[in-house]
Amino acid sequence: MIAADIQVVLPELVLSVFAMAALMGAVYTIKDRAAPLLVWTTSGVMVLVALWIAIAGPQGSAFEGSFTSDGFSVFAKVMILMSGAAILLMSEGYMARHGILKFEYPVLITLASVGMMVMVSAGDLIVLYMGLELQSLALYVVAALRRDSIKSTEAGLKYFVLGALSSGLLLYGASLTYGYTGTTSFAGIIEATEGGVSTGLLFGLVFLLAGFAFKVSAAPFHMWTPDVYEGSPTPVTAFFATAPKVAAMGLFARVVHDAFGGVVGDWQQIVALLSVLSMFLGAIAAIGQRNIKRLMAYSSIAHMGFALMGLAAGTVLGVQAMLIYMAIYVTMNIGTFAFIMSMEKDGRVVTDIDALQMYSKREPLKALAMLVLLFSLAGVPPMVGFFGKLYVLRAAYDAGLGWLAVAGVLASVIGAFYYLRIVYYMYFGEERDALDPGMSPVLWGFLMASAAVMVVGIVNLFGIEPAAAAAAASLVN
Amino acid sequence: MIGIEHYLTVAAMLFVIGVFGLFLNRKNVIIMLMSIELMLLAVNINLVAFSSFLGDLVGQIFTLFVLTVAAAEAAIGLAILVCFFRVRGTIDVEDVNVMKG
Amino acid sequence: METIILFAPLAGALICGFGWKILGETAAQWVATGLLFLAAFLSWIVFLGHDGVTDQITILRWIESGTLATDWSIRLDRLTAIMLIVITTVSALVHLYSFGYMAHDDNFREGESYRPRFFAYLSFFTFAMLMLVTSDNLIQMFFGWEGVGVASYLLIGFYYRKPSANAAAIKAFVVNRVGDFGFALGIFAIYFLVDSVKFDDIFAAAPTLAETQITFLWREWNAANLIGVLLFIGAMGKSAQLILHTWLPDAMEGPTPVSALIHAATMVTAGVFLVCRMSPIYEFAPEASQFIVFLGASTAFFAATVGLVQNDIKRVIAYSTCSQLGYMFVAAGVGVYSVAMFHLFTHAFFKAMLFLGAGSVIHGMHHEQDMRNYGGLRHKLPYTFWAMMIGTLAITGVGIPLLYLGFPVGFAGFVSKDAIIESAYAAHNGYAFWLLVVAALFTSFYSWRLMFLTFYGKPRGDHHTHEHAHESPMTMLAPLGVLALGAILAGMIWYKPFFGDSEKVAKFFGIPEAVAMAEESHGEEPAADEAHSGEEAAGDHGEDHHFAFGGDPGDGAIYIGPDNHVLDEAHSVPIWVKLAPFISMLLGFGTAYQMYIRRPDWPAKLAQNQRPLYEFLLNKWYFDEIYDFLFVRPARGIGMFLWKRGDQGTIDGGINGIALGIIPFLTRLAGRAQTGYMFTYVFWMVVGIAAVLTWVSITGGTN
Repeated sequence: MIAADIQVVLPELVLSVFAMAALMGAVYTIKDRAAPLLVWTTSGVMVLVALWIAIAGPQGSAFEGSFTSDGFSVFAKVMILMSGAAILLMSEGYMARHGILKFEYPVLITLASVGMMVMVSAGDLIVLYMGLELQSLALYVVAALRRDSIKSTEAGLKYFVLGALSSGLLLYGASLTYGYTGTTSFAGIIEATEGGVSTGLLFGLVFLLAGFAFKVSAAPFHMWTPDVYEGSPTPVTAFFATAPKVAAMGLFARVVHDAFGGVVGDWQQIVALLSVLSMFLGAIAAIGQRNIKRLMAYSSIAHMGFALMGLAAGTVLGVQAMLIYMAIYVTMNIGTFAFIMSMEKDGRVVTDIDALQMYSKREPLKALAMLVLLFSLAGVPPMVGFFGKLYVLRAAYDAGLGWLAVAGVLASVIGAFYYLRIVYYMYFGEERDALDPGMSPVLWGFLMASAAVMVVGIVNLFGIEPAAAAAAASLVN
Repeated sequence: MIGIEHYLTVAAMLFVIGVFGLFLNRKNVIIMLMSIELMLLAVNINLVAFSSFLGDLVGQIFTLFVLTVAAAEAAIGLAILVCFFRVRGTIDVEDVNVMKG
Repeated sequence: METIILFAPLAGALICGFGWKILGETAAQWVATGLLFLAAFLSWIVFLGHDGVTDQITILRWIESGTLATDWSIRLDRLTAIMLIVITTVSALVHLYSFGYMAHDDNFREGESYRPRFFAYLSFFTFAMLMLVTSDNLIQMFFGWEGVGVASYLLIGFYYRKPSANAAAIKAFVVNRVGDFGFALGIFAIYFLVDSVKFDDIFAAAPTLAETQITFLWREWNAANLIGVLLFIGAMGKSAQLILHTWLPDAMEGPTPVSALIHAATMVTAGVFLVCRMSPIYEFAPEASQFIVFLGASTAFFAATVGLVQNDIKRVIAYSTCSQLGYMFVAAGVGVYSVAMFHLFTHAFFKAMLFLGAGSVIHGMHHEQDMRNYGGLRHKLPYTFWAMMIGTLAITGVGIPLLYLGFPVGFAGFVSKDAIIESAYAAHNGYAFWLLVVAALFTSFYSWRLMFLTFYGKPRGDHHTHEHAHESPMTMLAPLGVLALGAILAGMIWYKPFFGDSEKVAKFFGIPEAVAMAEESHGEEPAADEAHSGEEAAGDHGEDHHFAFGGDPGDGAIYIGPDNHVLDEAHSVPIWVKLAPFISMLLGFGTAYQMYIRRPDWPAKLAQNQRPLYEFLLNKWYFDEIYDFLFVRPARGIGMFLWKRGDQGTIDGGINGIALGIIPFLTRLAGRAQTGYMFTYVFWMVVGIAAVLTWVSITGGTN
């Protein structure tokens, strides 16, 4: 019995053991000098685990349903691990240059990844909370990784306080849910809600959703995002923008479908509201930003709005659209952050978008790659980003949320402005002092690969469409 | 007779006090950490009350988990606060605003 | 062969327009001209060899959509054959003429290449015009119709640096659109009722149409009449008939060869051609025909009056064209389509020649166009003078009345114009008859006035210009010679097949004789004839038997109904009717001679004494002013309103207001909300959750 359960959580166990072993090993030996090796090893392990999960991962539920491994969790975990590994690879050079390559970093990333994997597999409120906290606690620390920087520590502090508040909200919701259904397992909750939802449970649901909304940084629970993105070291920001978002969206989908799938009408309007607020706030607030990291923060808020639109549909197609959207979003962000990490002048980090003026003249190829990525982020048709938006709009429209789809189109029109402004600067701006030339091969590779995916992917989206469809089907039934 | 609703009311009041403590307090980040603890404890009261009322142990187990995690959370929070104090020299809530806009 | 005729100009246009950089300017021009001469040569072979039987040559299948099936094919009958020679001949000569006329042009800068473009436009126009006249169905015809419109627009605006030329081009285009709207409605009506746009089907259905009622606008109409009027509105636009005539005088802004080709000989006659082509419809639409007669006669008179006082040499001829087109419409309206085509045919020669002559004068006088600055030019420009003289003799209708040597003796205009006036009389249309006679008087007056002002008297105006006045080169004079030949002989040679002899007319146009009808009608018709001749005094032509046109609509090139005897009756009009145009011509000549040769001070005095009348005529009956007040200004007002208020104010303002006003405002707001303080962030989260909780409490959750 217990052996079968262990079998299901084996990937998480392997990663946890690896993380702890790495921690112990490094602490008692060469400490930070082990960091480069550790980064590469960790990322290798994560890729291997991802492949294992994807190809021959254990399926089924464990511990009496409190942990589920199904198509949906496999899809999400592969995305989480792959993006985590990619970010780790990109971080190494940057962190070494800026003297913050500590051995704790890969360990914390691994632990956060384990937490995320638990989140998307949760089948019980307790497991959900544990996964969430494991992820959050690790992320609070990496946000403040640069201990000698005001911005970094402030980012960590803000993230911590607000994150703790959101945990509190979520927990309060969980306690109400437990109280009004008599169980913490999702399977029990869905049974208990068959006859409708009592007001107490509805309040519990609202608190739960508020907690998730904080994690996906949906308006009006988004306000930590710009500050934390700006303050954290850029590789950490890149990580924040990718894997945790996937995990939070996965958790969101998991709870609303697995636990509250019987009462779609009760949460659909709330999610739609979060979606429309996020899309507009992200688009509008980003216009005022000159700092590219803050800009990417608002950009991710707007993108989460679109992903929530797919979720708001409450259908298989909606979840599929959300998964495709997240996959595309993560790919775009990896490329974009690879570029942002390379933005330096005289060895110092530059985040002002004015520094990109006439960039195309000096670095035509990189400027072109960025152009492709930014067009894709804005959702300009030939790029893959457009198809992501198309999917969620379609899902929302088919689910009878025509107004939401219209709002999404309007928001993406507004949002196109700030992406295209960067393109404008790169191609038609005024001459400025040049950024440092050159770029580490790893970053260059990720930038170009990501840009290439945006163009080549229009052929068949690399086959993720059927995979996402299968994943969505395993979640919604 | 003290029923479940009394426990829930107390928990709700504690929770709201905790939340208000987070945004009415302009003095000290430590007070914010205390407010967070208050919220978590309110949740714990809720869970235990429900557990007892439902005759189901899961709620109490949940409480133990929450307590444990809250301890870890407090440790990490204080660690970050110490780092912040070192570079900033203050832990006034109104001074935690280098980044904005 | 017909295909070559049709496509040679297109090939010329393409080669000349796109290939001149490779070929060189001169070679490109010669290619276009050479292909046109080839087309003209083949056209004459077709015309002379044509036996009157309708021939159809399919080129390709064009549109097939539902019941709308349209082939692109050539309908070769007598009408087409006539138009073919008119178009290709005049076009070829105009191409040749343009070598000289367009050699130097002050409207273009040194080294600027404009000649290949000009020739390409001319060739393109010719192609479009050929498309129009060879068409087998209304859609193809409409294509050609619009094609010539485009070519006309391009050529009127050829001097694109002149604002007046651009304005004239736009005016021509817009006014023609009004007519085209009617034409298009007519096509729609036909397709709606007949379910086909092929001429064969339409003609076959004509008798049915006459008995059909159709609701249009506010009332029921007879279908044939409605279609007739709608198509005629299209013709009015193209042929510059009253109401829609205002563009033609302004179109003189184009280079003179263009005026000769498009605005005298070919395009403007497309309306007449259309009416003749649709003769089976008009034969069943008496009211529509009446309308045509009325409007044609009015135009003939109106344009002639305006022509009396114009000073610009080209404008005089333009109004003359307008007036002559009115004559043609009268002929078509009273049912003698062959006579309309006859005048179209002869008019093409002498009017093209007048224009080219005027062009030669303008060329010789360094682009001076005001006749008041001419005078005494017959010695400086002898060949041009003689050509213009022949043209004037032809248009005023000089000939020997009552002499008949198997054909009447006189210049082309004499024969064809008199035929129209006699037909108008024979159709018992007093209004048309008298207006046309008076118009003939005016025609004579203004034509001779033009001659006297230009070639006689003392040189006026700029001394320098007169000293340097020179005769035009051979490329310009040769076309004048050829056209002069036509202007003298065309009337006499083709008198019989067009007008003189009903049997020949029938054979010429391929109309079968009504055998059965002929015998039967012999009984009644002389009686009817007697009734006519009884009240119209004696002096019959001597022809006492009526030829009866037979066949079904569409059998021949034109259709003349069994009850239509105007053609025959026109031969038996009283002698004073036959003399009337001749006498008018003499009167006009006499007056002009008196006023411009013997007492050159009279015109000024007369203008002084009859100020209001003079102003009225000089300002073309104030048509432009009235239109400006009625249409242009309100349209401009609406346009301004929609542009300033609608487009700029509402749409641009709305978008800009949102993009530049509201969005930045919201952006600032969002930025200000992001204070950097944790308690603010917490506050917004709590506000958010409170709002959601309130909302779900109100909506009650379960739904």
